Amino acid sequence: MAIPKLDVFENNSRLPLPIEKKEANLYMSFIYVAFISLFIGGLMGLLQVLVRSGSFTLPWGIGYYQILTLHGVVLALVLTTFFILGFQYALMGKTVGMSAKQRKVSWLAFWVMTIGTAMTAATILVGKASVLYTFYAPLKAHPAFYIGLALVVVGSWIAGFVNWRQLYVWKKDHPGEKSPLLAFMVTINMIMWFIASIGVAVAVLVQFIPWSLGYAETINVLVSRTLFWYFGHPLVYFWLLPAYMAWYAIIPKIIGGKIFSDSLARLSFVLFLFFSIPVGFHHQLTEPGIDPTWKFIQVVLTFMVVIPSLMTAFSMFATFEITGRKKGFGGLFGWLKHLPWKDVRFLAPFIGMLAFIPGGAGGIINASHQMNAVVHNTIWVTGHFHLTVATTVILTFFGITYWLVPHLTGRTLTKEVNRLGIIQTFVWTIGMTIMSGAMHIQGLLGAPRRSAYSDYGGSEQAVEWGAYQMAQAIGGTILFIGITLMVYIFIKLTFFSPKGEEEFPIAEEEENAPATPMWLENWKLWVAITVALILFAYTIPFVDIIQNSPPGSPPFDWPIGNS
Amino acid sequence: MKSGERNYSGSNREPSLKGTLISVGVLGLVIVISWFAVFALFISR
Repeated sequence: MAIPKLDVFENNSRLPLPIEKKEANLYMSFIYVAFISLFIGGLMGLLQVLVRSGSFTLPWGIGYYQILTLHGVVLALVLTTFFILGFQYALMGKTVGMSAKQRKVSWLAFWVMTIGTAMTAATILVGKASVLYTFYAPLKAHPAFYIGLALVVVGSWIAGFVNWRQLYVWKKDHPGEKSPLLAFMVTINMIMWFIASIGVAVAVLVQFIPWSLGYAETINVLVSRTLFWYFGHPLVYFWLLPAYMAWYAIIPKIIGGKIFSDSLARLSFVLFLFFSIPVGFHHQLTEPGIDPTWKFIQVVLTFMVVIPSLMTAFSMFATFEITGRKKGFGGLFGWLKHLPWKDVRFLAPFIGMLAFIPGGAGGIINASHQMNAVVHNTIWVTGHFHLTVATTVILTFFGITYWLVPHLTGRTLTKEVNRLGIIQTFVWTIGMTIMSGAMHIQGLLGAPRRSAYSDYGGSEQAVEWGAYQMAQAIGGTILFIGITLMVYIFIKLTFFSPKGEEEFPIAEEEENAPATPMWLENWKLWVAITVALILFAYTIPFVDIIQNSPPGSPPFDWPIGNS
Repeated sequence: MKSGERNYSGSNREPSLKGTLISVGVLGLVIVISWFAVFALFISR
């Protein structure tokens, strides 16, 4: 059974929907916080690479781990979550619409998250929470750090509930129709986020907050780390899926093509929902308290993610090739010539896609148990996620910013800003190639991640690392120039670009595209399979962890200056 | 009517995706080569 495809947008008065000023203010508020975070977090990153080069000392008693925590929390948790929610809201507003009531509830989500962010950031800034963004026990931060994080998560849930409600209302008004592709994708991402963040919420509410307040004397370290990584891996996909939304459903429009396959896009998102969560053990392969059989099972489940990832890669290449061939470009790779290389809305996400090739390859290495022994806790891992989240995801988010921000502020992307954007993309690419490349090599040479500068008592091995740390300082400095340029572009697009109407590009299906099968909309089944996979992968090992844990740990607050 | 027929036959023709095939093949090779390179490192240590 199949549902007929939606009429193309031009013939359909319903889509895309206009975004009202009040809605635009809401979406922009999320994006403002994201860009403020980009600047603060980026500055912290610059300070880190300078410290690690060995030729710079932090002034005024600021600690290295203080800035490292701020960098991780503000960029990996705050920037990403705020940008994603702002972008996803805009996608929902454009495809299924938003009521006044939904908008009001969304403001509640925004303020809960913003208050949480302010609490967490302030606690880190005063040096009471230098526990890094993974906040591993038994390092104990001030309770305000955990309470702030909990508020960010709860706020994001409110946003998710609104998104689901938006699609539910639309579906009631359009019986028998398939949901718009972008609304389908947002719904999947928020289901995944909700199920995954329950883990971190439980860890924070049940374990960390009572323990940090002194109500509980000890904490079960392994349970807390397991709950963190139950959340931590899908977090990566929570960042990545909005980038994929743009790749599948927005980039084709920008290059003058059509969606390669609506069904393939939906199926890949469903597979990401299944295989993003029951895989956290591949972050804990060196953890002694987890049964190796269950590590193996979760590694196998991790490798299943290769399938939707390669489906996405195939789909992207095919979109480019089909569009190029339609425009008359022949030969094996002639179609590469038609791509709009001078359009930053395409170029930035495209380089993001390219970065995901080494990024994905590195991910497969990390998740393979033996290879994990080579790279675990080395700076290779830092290099890896600076390719995935800080290049693939961020360059795609920048690519979105160039049209989304002017669309929401009633301005236009000028040629001048487009040119600046292309320069920004190259600056970012050069800086990240140097920094992430050096991190990868230095990691393979055994250098640890997370740690501040040390010559390790003049050991021979540490001497080998010096040149790579210097390269990271150079790459990081170039990246900070890129961040400054991007913040300038953002301010320009928000307040100073000429007034006008910037296109909100949403790609359509081919006119002769086959209908999308009805079963892809079977939400209950998708959630049931996801929960079943989680229960399968986690129940037995988790019970085992609880039953056979060593005694819990008292807090260690003195090493981070929180005593 | 005539153009309708052309459309119909056009819709059944598979577009050429040779470039895509080679591209995803290269991508697969990158993954496999990187994996074996680090595996060799693991074996050698």
